[in-house]
Amino acid sequence: MAVYKRGYQRYEGPRAPHLERLLVLPRQAWRRLSAQRIVTALLALSCIWPLLCALFIYIANHTELWGGLDGDFSKMLAIDSAFMLTFMKVQSVFSVLLAALAGPGLISPDLGNQGLALYFSRPISRLEYVLAKMAALVWLLSLVTWVPGIVLLLMQAAMADASWALANWRLGAGLVLGFWLWVALVALVALASSAWVRWRLIAGAVVLGFFFVLSGVGVLVNAIFRVEWGDLINPLRAAYGVWCALMGAEMPAGLSLATALASLALMGALLSLALERRLRPVEVVR
Amino acid sequence: MPQPVVELDDLHVSLGRREILHGISGRLGVSGSGRAIGLLGPNGAGKSTLIRTLLGFHTPSSGRARVLGFDCHQNRRRVLERIGYMPETDSFVASMTGVEFLRVMGSLSGLPEEIALEKAHETLFHVGLGEARYRTLGTYSLGMRQMARLAQAIVHGPELVILDEPTNGLDPAARRRMLELIRQMKDDHGMSVIVCSHLLADVEQVCDEVLILKDGRMIHHADLEAERRENRRFVELEVEGDSTAFAAALEAAGAVCVAESPGRFRIVLPPDFEMVRLWKLAADHGLSVRRLTQRRDTLEEIFMKAMGLLRQTPGEAASSQEAPAYGGL
Repeated sequence: MAVYKRGYQRYEGPRAPHLERLLVLPRQAWRRLSAQRIVTALLALSCIWPLLCALFIYIANHTELWGGLDGDFSKMLAIDSAFMLTFMKVQSVFSVLLAALAGPGLISPDLGNQGLALYFSRPISRLEYVLAKMAALVWLLSLVTWVPGIVLLLMQAAMADASWALANWRLGAGLVLGFWLWVALVALVALASSAWVRWRLIAGAVVLGFFFVLSGVGVLVNAIFRVEWGDLINPLRAAYGVWCALMGAEMPAGLSLATALASLALMGALLSLALERRLRPVEVVR
Repeated sequence: MPQPVVELDDLHVSLGRREILHGISGRLGVSGSGRAIGLLGPNGAGKSTLIRTLLGFHTPSSGRARVLGFDCHQNRRRVLERIGYMPETDSFVASMTGVEFLRVMGSLSGLPEEIALEKAHETLFHVGLGEARYRTLGTYSLGMRQMARLAQAIVHGPELVILDEPTNGLDPAARRRMLELIRQMKDDHGMSVIVCSHLLADVEQVCDEVLILKDGRMIHHADLEAERRENRRFVELEVEGDSTAFAAALEAAGAVCVAESPGRFRIVLPPDFEMVRLWKLAADHGLSVRRLTQRRDTLEEIFMKAMGLLRQTPGEAASSQEAPAYGGL
């Protein structure tokens, strides 16, 4: 029978499991994100660098292509931590750009017309709401960060002899852990920006500002006051420091692993606090 | 013993340092009976705080609140699975279409995906938004958004629906439609409904019991059905002619009369007294009846009395020992 003829019937059948309910939010957010052409275009653009890296790996593993060249050239073509760190640096910039485009539309539409009361009057907690919204962004950012990174490493492992994979397992672990940390930070910044700034353009600018302006300020603080605590507000340098430590590469000058981790932890805590303060079902005037 | 819809046990709720609810206790409604409970009180009485506490938005500072047998704080998820909530404020997600909005809300409340879509369409037709279901909510008028908010509250078929000021800002036709939908919810679908409203007429029209709050305290809890049964016995009468013997005859028939002025009476009829007998008595005494009204505004009087603006209802005055009988006023 046609719906309009049937009339309303109260549903009394079995309910979906809790996790299945939560997946509704990321699915819906993902549908919206994938419908935005600019996000799709940037996603495609961010595949260029991994493709170039794949070409690089192919060339590095086919000595017949450059057999006549001297030994320094073979050092330059080594697939090591320096290669992976360069890959990560470029892709992290793309991930920030994607987050600046996609992040602002995640929470602000729900906040704009007091829609949060509708979400939180359902069996979903604030933490679950944030994690569900974050999942859509994490999925998107994963496509340009650790997923292509793993593909590159698998490609290299397949082309090189077995000893390479054994000797360089730390690159894989460092890449995945380092990017997970990075993706979590970027997603938190994008969500906090979406929660506090109503206008999407400005919210996107805040995301870019957090990473690029704040990093510049950190460098300036260190240079002007001749101190090192400016690193605490430099997310790019802190993340890079952690990546170096995870991959066994040399740490940047003047930065310790403890400072880098403290900086990321501080930023994560402040961003979580910002979200906690903002995401409430009702405004309470005390 | 039937399970109440809402059970409050010395409920105290504080926001910051300010205590808003000061120890409310009571049992409201009967689970599964399809009754509507009206929540009344002036601004700042604590109605919204009580509703939000039932929804788990606020944590009780002491005491407890249970909904459908579950503690609102400790079993929040189980409570919210059984509730539909229509907030007072204009809450919606502007960029979603009506169908998308209801589908998401239904799924979050536990409807399986394919059922959620079906129910979204069904509910939108039910509330009169069938033709607008593919439009984004941002393009809806205020009344349509109000209906969309009602739709999201019932899309998953909850046992209890909490409606905060459901008729606010509606034109008369939409208001009638809203009240009819509330009536259908309880009568046709067996849902329990809590209606929080400033409009006594709306509450009186759809509710079976009423809770009145003032300054964070419960000051009255009345069963409106029982009050309505009482009302049918209360009559205001205005006659022309000498009514002394008529009043005496009424008293002899077991009625209680209070004369407000010559020819104007307030009468409490005995339970088995038929209205036709009143007309006959008036005719027998040669009186012409100028006005005969059965009382209808009891809720207003209950409310005024609870607020301290009225010492007693006229019905109580008529049956009171101290009230002078016929001719005394």
